Order: sequence, then C-alpha cells, then structure tokens
Amino acid sequence: MKEAIEFMIPGFCGMGMHFKLDGFRLVYVCIAVFMWTVSGVFSREYMAHYKHHGRYYSFFWATFGATVGVFLSADLYTTFIFFEIMSFTSYVWVAFDERRESLRAAETYLAVAVIGGMVMLMGLFLLYDLFGTLEMDKLGGMAGAVLAGGEAPGWTAFQGVEAGREAVSQGAAAGAGLQASGAWAGSRIFSSPVTQLYTAAALMLFGFGAKAGCVPLHIWLPKAHPEAPAPASALLSGILTKAGVFGIIFLSCVLFEADGAWGQLIAVLGLVTMFLGAFLAVFSVNLKRTLACSSVSQIGFILTGIGMSCLLKNAGEDNSLAVRGAFLHMVNHSLFKLVLFLCAGAVFMNLHQLNLNDIRGFGRKKPALKFCFLMGALGIGGIPLWSGYISKTLIHESIVEYMKAGGGSVFWKGAEWVFLFTGGMTVAYMLKLFAALFVEVHPERQAEFDAKPAMNRASKAVLTAAAVILPVFGMTAHLTMDRIADMGQGFFGGGGGHGHVVSYFSLENLKGGLISIGIGIFLYVVVIRGLLMEKEEGTGGKRYADRWPSWLDLENLVYRPVLQTALPGVCGAVFGFLDKYLVSVAVTVFLTVSTVAGRCADQAVDGIVRLARATTHSQKPEPKHHDSNQAAYVLGHMADKLAAFGDRIRRLAKGNKKKAEAGTGRVSVIPEFVRREQELKVTGKLVEESFSFGLMLFSIGLCLTLGYLLVVFLIW
Amino acid sequence: MNRLYLALPVFLPIFCGCVLLAFRDRFSGKREERLMNLGVEGLVVFNSLMIFMILAKLYGEDGGETMQFTLFRLFGNLTVMFKLDRMGSVFAGLIAFLWPLATLYAFDYMKDEPRRPAFFAYYTMTYGVTAGIAFSGSLITLYLFYELLTLVTFPLVLHPLSREAAHASRKYLYYSLGGAAFAFLGLVLVLGFSATGNTEFLAGGMLNLETAGAYKNVLLTFYVLAFFGFGVKAALFPCHGWLPKATVAPTPVTALLHAVAVVKSGAFAILRLTYFSFGTGFLRGTWAQWAVMAAALFTILYGSTMAVREVHWKRRLAYSTISNLSYILFGAAIMSPLGLAAALCHMTAHAFMKICGFFCAGAVMHQTGKTHIYELDGLGRRMPVTFACLTVSSFSLMGIPLFAGFISKWNLCQAAFAYAGQAVSAGVSGGWIPYMGVAVILYSALMTSVYMLTVLVRAYFPKDGEFNPLVRAGREFRDPGWKMLLPLIIFAAVILAIGLHSAPFMRLFLSIGGEAG
Repeated sequence: MKEAIEFMIPGFCGMGMHFKLDGFRLVYVCIAVFMWTVSGVFSREYMAHYKHHGRYYSFFWATFGATVGVFLSADLYTTFIFFEIMSFTSYVWVAFDERRESLRAAETYLAVAVIGGMVMLMGLFLLYDLFGTLEMDKLGGMAGAVLAGGEAPGWTAFQGVEAGREAVSQGAAAGAGLQASGAWAGSRIFSSPVTQLYTAAALMLFGFGAKAGCVPLHIWLPKAHPEAPAPASALLSGILTKAGVFGIIFLSCVLFEADGAWGQLIAVLGLVTMFLGAFLAVFSVNLKRTLACSSVSQIGFILTGIGMSCLLKNAGEDNSLAVRGAFLHMVNHSLFKLVLFLCAGAVFMNLHQLNLNDIRGFGRKKPALKFCFLMGALGIGGIPLWSGYISKTLIHESIVEYMKAGGGSVFWKGAEWVFLFTGGMTVAYMLKLFAALFVEVHPERQAEFDAKPAMNRASKAVLTAAAVILPVFGMTAHLTMDRIADMGQGFFGGGGGHGHVVSYFSLENLKGGLISIGIGIFLYVVVIRGLLMEKEEGTGGKRYADRWPSWLDLENLVYRPVLQTALPGVCGAVFGFLDKYLVSVAVTVFLTVSTVAGRCADQAVDGIVRLARATTHSQKPEPKHHDSNQAAYVLGHMADKLAAFGDRIRRLAKGNKKKAEAGTGRVSVIPEFVRREQELKVTGKLVEESFSFGLMLFSIGLCLTLGYLLVVFLIW
Repeated sequence: MNRLYLALPVFLPIFCGCVLLAFRDRFSGKREERLMNLGVEGLVVFNSLMIFMILAKLYGEDGGETMQFTLFRLFGNLTVMFKLDRMGSVFAGLIAFLWPLATLYAFDYMKDEPRRPAFFAYYTMTYGVTAGIAFSGSLITLYLFYELLTLVTFPLVLHPLSREAAHASRKYLYYSLGGAAFAFLGLVLVLGFSATGNTEFLAGGMLNLETAGAYKNVLLTFYVLAFFGFGVKAALFPCHGWLPKATVAPTPVTALLHAVAVVKSGAFAILRLTYFSFGTGFLRGTWAQWAVMAAALFTILYGSTMAVREVHWKRRLAYSTISNLSYILFGAAIMSPLGLAAALCHMTAHAFMKICGFFCAGAVMHQTGKTHIYELDGLGRRMPVTFACLTVSSFSLMGIPLFAGFISKWNLCQAAFAYAGQAVSAGVSGGWIPYMGVAVILYSALMTSVYMLTVLVRAYFPKDGEFNPLVRAGREFRDPGWKMLLPLIIFAAVILAIGLHSAPFMRLFLSIGGEAG
C-alpha cells in the first residue's frame, strides 16, 4: 500500500476527527474484522444458553466499531475518544454474567479504564499545550525538535514577548489571550519543554499501559478475562490490549523515536511485565486465568521489542529487526489468543468450570479441539515452524544486536536471559495446560467427558481456520510474515529497508528457541510436576495445587485499600469535618457574640439606672408590711350582707319564699375589694417612689445646670 | 413599542403568576385543573417563543442591534434598565429552552401533591424573575431581580410544608439575603467609582481606572466580598450549606431552580460582576483573583468528595452541583477571554446534564418512591429510557468525550493553562494557581466517575442479579409517562448534540469572551 487514505471530520466533538488508513492500520483493521468474525460465529453457540442476547451483540459490535476507530485514528484526540468508548462498551462484557465475582472483576476493569483514561487525558492535554496539535504525523517532528534542544511552538510563543507584570494586569494580555485560543501560550510549570514532554508522555503511557496490561497496571487482566464470556475474552486479550500497545508504539516510535532514556524505560517495563506475567501463569490453576497471565507476559515481549527499537535507533543502528519483531508478535499474539481463548470457551460452555483439576482430560477424545489448542500452544511457546518462533526470534535478535552495538552489555546479557527464561516459562505453562486438558484422565467423570461433543460444526470450522494460520505463517515466514512486517513498518517510523534478511532457521537463531524449549521442559518437569502438584487422596494420582498465597494480590493489597479506603476516607473525613464544624462553629460564635453585644447595647441605659438604684439611690428596706386588708374585708362583708338583704326583700315582696331561700348565688365582692385595695396601695407607692425619683433626677439636673452656669460664668 | 418586547417576557409571567395565586382556590376540580395546566404551559411556551424572537433579533441579519429599555430612574443617572447583549442572551436562551420542558415534567410529577396552583404560580413567577436577571442591563437591576428571585423561590422550597422543608427554606432565605447584602456593598463601591456615573454593564468593566487605582485594595476587598455574596446562590464554599438541604423541595424545583435557574443566576451575576463591572483589566493578577480562584478550587474538591460520601441520590446530585458550579466560577476567576468562554460553555453544558440527572432521579422517585442509591438495584432494566438518559448525563458529567461535559472541561483546562502560562512568564506571584486548577479538575473528574458510575452500575448490574431481593421486588416498575420522558430525551439529545458538534456554541462563547475578557 503506497498511499495512505485519509479522512477528516473537522469540528466534530470539539476538535475534529482525523482517520488514516496506512499499512499498519490496514493490517490491524483486517485482524479486527477477522477476530470479530471468528468470535461472532463462535458466540452463536457459546451464548445459546445465556439470556440478553440483544445486549451482548449490541455491545459486541459497538466495541468492534470503537476498536477499529482506535486503530484508524490519525490524531491522538480521535484515538482517545474511541479508546474511551471501547473501554465502556467492553465493560459490559466483563459484567455480563452478573455474578458476584464478575461484577467485582468488572469493577476493577472499569476503575482501571476510567483512571487510565483520565490520566491519559491529562497527558494529551499537556502535549496539546506544548505543541498546539495532536496530529500524530506532526507531533513526531516537533517532539524530535524539542528533544534535540529546540523550542516547542507553544513554548516560544511567549518567550519573545516582553510580558511584564503590567501586560497581565492591564488589558494588553486580553488580545494575546484571545489569540491563545488559536495559537499557544506556553506553560511554565515545567522547567523546560523537554520536562513537559516527558511528563505528558509518562501520563499517556500510564493510560495506554493500563489498557495494554503493563505491570503494575495489569491487575484487571487476570480478573476480567476469566469472568467475561470466552469470545469476549479472546477479543479483550487479543485486540483490546493491542489498542493500548498501539498508543505505546506511537509514544515510543513516533514521539520518542530515538530517545535512549525512553527506550530503556519501555524495555525494562517490558522485561518486568513479561517475566511477572509468565511467573503468575506458571502458578495459576485456572485455565482462563493462565491464559490471561500469559497475555500479560506476551505484551511484555512486545514492549521489549518496542523498547529495543528505540534503543537501537538511539545507538545509530538499524532498528528494523526490533520493529518487525514487535509488530509481528502483536499480530501473532492476537491470533494465538483468539484460538486459545475460544478453545477455553469450548471447555467452559460444556463444563461451566475452569479449574484445571475439574476439567482434566476433557479434550482426550476431541481431535479438533486438540488440534486447535496444540497449534495455539506451539505458536505461543515459540516452537520453530510456528509463527510465534519467528517474532520471538526477531526480538531476541534485536537484543543481541544492541548488545553487539555496545549498549551496557552486562545488563543486556541479563535481559537476554530473562527473555529466554520467560520463553521457557511460556513453554512450561502451555505444556501444563495441554497436559491437563488432553493427556491426564479425570478420576471420576472421564467417561462423561468423552461422550460430550466439544462444539458444533460451525464453531469447529472457524476455530480450525484460525488455528491453521499459525503453522502456515510459521512455515512460510518469508512469504507471509515478512510482507505483513513490511506493511506495518512504516508506522514505527520504519527503519526504511528490511534490515538484513534474517534466515529464521539458521543454527544461530534456532539456538535461542531451543534454549527456551529446554528451560521450559525442565521447568515443567521439576517445578510444575514436582512443586506445584500434590498427591490426590483416594486415586493415588496427582492434582494441581494453588500454591500462590491468596493475600499476595496487588489489587487487594494496595490499590483497593488506597483508592477505596485511604483516599476517600482521608479527604472525606477532612471535608466532612469542615462541613460539620467549620460553618456551624462560625455561625454559633457569630450569633453568641452578636447576641451578647446586642443585649449589652439594649440595656446600656437601663444598666445605668439600675446601677444608680443599687448604689447611690438604694432604698431602705421597707418595714415588713402586714398586709391584713382589714378595711377591704370589713367593707366587702358589709356590702355582701347589704346586697343579700336587698335581694331577699325584693323576692319576699314578690311572695316567692322558696325561691328567696334558694337564690342566694351571688358572688362575694370581698376579693374585688381586696384587689382594689392592693392596687391602690401599689399605685400609691409607685407614685410616691417615682415622684421622689423624679425629684431626685430633677435636682441632679438642677445641680448640673447650676454647675454648668457656674462654669460658664467662671470662664467668662 | 419595539423595546417593550424586552420587558414583556419578564413581567408577563410575574403578573400571570400573581393572578393565579390570587385565584388559587378556584382550581380545585379536575376540569379546572386541566385548564390551569393548559394555561400555564401555554403561557410558558409563549414566553419562551417571545424570548427566542428577541434573541433572533439580536443575532438578526441587520447586524444585531442591542435592545435597551429603561424601566425607571432611581436617582441621578442610576437607572433600572433592561439591555440584551450576547452574554445575557446565553442565559436567556438557556432558560427559555428549559422552562417549558421542566413545566411539562412538573405537571406529571406534581399530580398527587397538594397545593398545585400555588406551586405553579410561584414556578411561573420565577421564570419572569430569572428572565429579568438575564436581561438586566445594569448591576442595580441585576441586584433587584436577584433579591426578588430569593423571595419567589422561597415558597417553592417550603412547598412540602414539612418540618425539614421549613428548616431548609429558612436556611435558604437567610443565606441568600445575607449574601445579597454583601453583593450590595460591592454594588455601592462600583457605583462610587464608575466611569459612567451609573452601573450600566460595559464589556471590560465600568470602573474609572484612574480614580479606582488609588483605592485599589479597598475595591479589591469589596470585590471579594461581592463575589462571595453572589457566590451564595452559586453555592460557593462556605456558603453552600443551603443547597443540599434544599433538595427536600419537589424535584422540578430542585432540577430547574437548584441546578439551573437560581444557582446559574449566582454564577451569571458573578460573571457580570467580574467581566462587566469591575473589569478583568482591573482585577487580573491581583490577590483578589487568586483568593476567589482558590475558593472556587476548594469548592470543587469539597463538592466532589462529599458527593461520593452521600448516599441520598438527590443530595449527591446537589453536591455534584456544588462542585460543578465552581467549575464555572473557576472559569470566571481565570479572567481571560478563554476563561469567560469556558465558563459560559460549562454553564450551558452543566445546565443540561444536571437537569437531566435530577429529572431521572425524580422519575425514579415518582415511579418507585426510592430516594437512596442503595435502593436502585436492577432498576436500569425496568426503566430503560430513564436510565439511558441518566447514562448520557453521567458520562457527560464525568467528562467522557462525545458528550457536552468533555468540551467544557477541555476548554476550562485550556483556559487555565493558557492564562497560567502568561501569568507565570510575566512573573505574577500566584500564577501557578490555575495549574492547580487542572489537577483539581482531574481529581474531581475521578470522583465524579465514582459517584455517578456507582449509581449506574447498581442500576444495570445489581449484585446477585435476579436473586437480589430488591430486583425481585421491583418487577412492576415502569418508565414514567411521556410528559416526564420527553424532557429527559430532549435533554439527553442536546447533551450529545453539544458534545458532537460544539463548534457553533464555542464560536459564540469565544466572541463573548473576546468582547468582555
């Protein structure tokens, strides 16, 4: 493909979208179409016993669209948009079973995706701030200029301006600010554009790495893959992780195409990831979990290849070996995992179990399943004549080449051995899976297993078709794989030519593969059969033992406590405290102070009077007043009697004696008289007192007036 | 006569609301009730059409005249006047779009509540008052309508007449009136130093810079006070306390008033105060800018963290509103053309996504009576349309691309970075604060995804699936009727539309920013 096809939608989603179809993207779109077709066909059988088919297929194809969008994107903004859509639609896959474990796994997946996405967005933002564009093609050159000690366009925009404090505080900056919507005001939080570039790239690496399953963000893979339906696992592992790798390739081969430090970072990350992934896989006793850990490990191989291409270019060597190795391993791994996960799916849809002890011997009488799994296992194990061998050899060669070029030989010698040893572990765990499924015999259910067909004809056909590709590619490497590599090379900032033609099956190259195979067989016999299996009670055979300590889980040990407990706990407690106390305390204090002050002001005048009465004008305590109210009683009694008498006379006059006797219901007036008397007394006292008080005030006033007059007269 | 158009959308709803209030006892029967609903909806739609007509005139082919209408003269040059500029048109257009839909939703939602005529009377009056805020052409007019807004919305919070509602409404009243007092101080100062002798809004500020320069620190102090004063309605920490409490009000009130009309009035007033009264030329680079920016950032942190802790759904959304309003205030505090554009963008985007979120919560409350997050297990499948709309609104709040929230957050970060770059390179102390803003927005986005996604995950993927007792009990729940669904669907569609094609909006906002920043 000579000319790339480009397609742009300006202004869409704020910044416009930009798609491009070149060699690399074409290969990956083809792989996506192939993988979705195969797993789509397989899904028909696999999903037959599930409910919610509509949901499954709608998210299945939505994810397809998003994934293709990621691989076609030609600017990072478009990549990011499709990346996020892909994360959210594939979340539904993981949660599909709606069992407790799958929901927990889905939660992990979502958390990693969301956090990764947000962090990546920050990186994009910094990059955009630095360069004013997110077009992949333009970024490469600009970053190169910055790394070479030049200036970033955003960075220079304000360096030349004599921007004093005045310019900002006065209106002058307004114009510049408006321009900034188009051109770029550089930022100064970083000491130099190079630092900002590195920070941006590191943030983006976090985001892409989280999706790719790079250690230490690999935690979602071993959880999510076993829980998702098998066709979905195949896609998650086979191609969704590659979307992350796609981003890392952009960062390493376009942005930092010849940066030694970055290359070292990626290579070391790759080595650690490959080793730890394989290590976990050796310990795992769950079929799909083993495959998931193996995905982590294989991603590590790819990252190592990418890192090597950076390093080789930095050393001035031809990096095409590393580039072609990394790219081919990407392609290979997609195909391996498609085959292997679908085989695991065939096991799961029959048995609904994944533990190796429960599924032992399931494949003994199933030649098609055995063939497919064997092809996948041989491929991923890097056995000569299968495709995995080709790509691994290329990556291995690139390490050797870098060593020859003189880059830190002791370290890279170690790296080479890590590489070979991991290859050995790959062989060992694939051997374990194969032996468990197809060689060993289940102590109780073997007859039942043999009676069951593994899958229907359509599934068998597509699976076999996918599996056959692996040896075909491996055996016709120069015819097929080299051409694929040629197509993909351009995106890696390609080393131009093919490098030297590698004779894949020369003794030199076979040696690496054979060492790995040797290590693998040794590990299988000694470690897996020796240390990781235990005597089974009753039958005398052996069973797989889960020797991995269950507490040793990065997610449960670190991430969940930090994110779920520590972070919200601390922040929440601080803000809760503020909410509960700060405002209410301020209000209480304010109310108290203002009340006290207000009361004081209210009673200031009263207080003076009271003070005067308490001190200078206090009255003598009255002699105890015996309040007999004698007069009121006497007068009241008399009045009562009089009234009663009057009544009787009146009634007698009417001649109704009986009524006259009964009708004395008149209320006594004595209490009324008493009240009146007391009122009179109180009033009298008040009048007396206030009169004397008034008199006193009057005399004070008089004194003051006199004093004033005196003063006036004296002064005058 | 032509200019009277400007006063009509303000006073017609207020007048009709008063009439409805006076005759509220007449609408007791079923037929009268239907008549009332029809009348209210008709009035609101008519009013919105009128506003759109006015806006069409503003953006008309004949170069966009600025309409102006003086109501009365207080004394001297101090006039209460309406004036429609582009800035006001954004807010006016927003409420004119939302009000008819929210009223439609309210009919169904309030079906079984008592005292409906009074409710709709105040609801309609609020429309007029909010339009008054959007149209106000001077700070004094804005202030008058701002106070009026407190008074007409107070009965709406009180509407359930429960003890809690009484408490909440009292708190609302005290906070708002107290805040307005501070705003009044700012108003007086602005008037004192105004170059024009009145308080008419001018793009870029109305202060006489020569006289104001001598009293710079006094003016800045009063700017900060007024910022916090208007910030009460925009729920700026520490004056936010009324907002979560006020969620006891019926959902149409919480959704339209406490996510859009009232709180956005506060933010709008702050934008007017910053960009059109004091002017960014005067404020930029001073301690006052950093003070208000720090307050806004702190509120973002506070709101998003508290939302995670809250398990009552509407209160969680209220805390989310607190943090999102401070995004707008952060944009205001950036005090650059881009900052104003980003603030307006977030104002628009947040209006749609939050009203959508609240309406979904209201629909669930109305259909099922469930108010807490932990009761939502499995409802996503029972009420598919409602939760689809909620998904759109949540993703938008989180800032996922394709949705409106992403556009505004991106612009906000961009504005912060551009301004901080200028400020730091100019050697202004405190210029690093906008950088912190970007970090704060990242933190807040993470928290947003936690508090919104937990709702969605629960609703769509309940723990234990079909075996969950809540899911089993909830089989008969259904989506609400069309009156409630239609607004939801329209809002979700608008969120997507803005997210997918934001260019025309951003052009408008940037042109406003260019004028006033």
